[in-house]
Amino acid sequence: MQLYDDYKDHVDFLTIYIREAHPQDEWQMKSNLKDKDDVCYTQPKNLEQRVAIASDFTKRFKFGVPFGIDQMSNAANDAYAAWPERLYVIDETGHISYKGGNGPFKYDPKEVRAWLAQRYGEVKHPEAAATPAEKKS
Amino acid sequence: MNPVAKWGLISVGVLLVAAYAGLSVMAGGPKDALFMLRYALPHMHRGTLKVGDDAPDAVLVDLDGASRFHIRERTGARPLVLVFGSFT
Repeated sequence: MQLYDDYKDHVDFLTIYIREAHPQDEWQMKSNLKDKDDVCYTQPKNLEQRVAIASDFTKRFKFGVPFGIDQMSNAANDAYAAWPERLYVIDETGHISYKGGNGPFKYDPKEVRAWLAQRYGEVKHPEAAATPAEKKS
Repeated sequence: MNPVAKWGLISVGVLLVAAYAGLSVMAGGPKDALFMLRYALPHMHRGTLKVGDDAPDAVLVDLDGASRFHIRERTGARPLVLVFGSFT
């Protein structure tokens, strides 16, 4: 993730894997079928399945951002109204400093980049190969 | 039927069809609109958190499937960017 590479020396990141947005047994997107990466999974019914998909994702894309998986109670998702994708920044005092909109239409990493740039200045390292999630965003 | 009621029903019908057509365009097709209503909208919430609120805590599972940690364990020293999402 380019944002992570650019600002990991200044702030911490945590990716939180939540319930699938477009699994095969719910609203599957055609783009997932056509995608050469073949992103086809059913909605996990237990934690083992959720961990397996998360592991597949991190291995397939060599995803180096710190990672956590929401429990089957969806506690993190519910607390942050996160589904299907959402960004937040928590400041050093433990307060919400930035709240992004719900994805996909209001999911905007550029807003987080602007928040970070305001604090730490603009940082832009040479781009590494982007994952599908980044291309989407 | 009372003409006012008749035209009222027709208007509501036209509005519903127009709304579904709009949703179909946004979702990618009529079938996708149905799936959006069935699977997406029930899970999508604006949420009540506001900038300035205390960040909620939750217990997360590590990729090893066994270890647990709290979101708030990761806060304090530096700002923390939370990236919520899934694979699909």
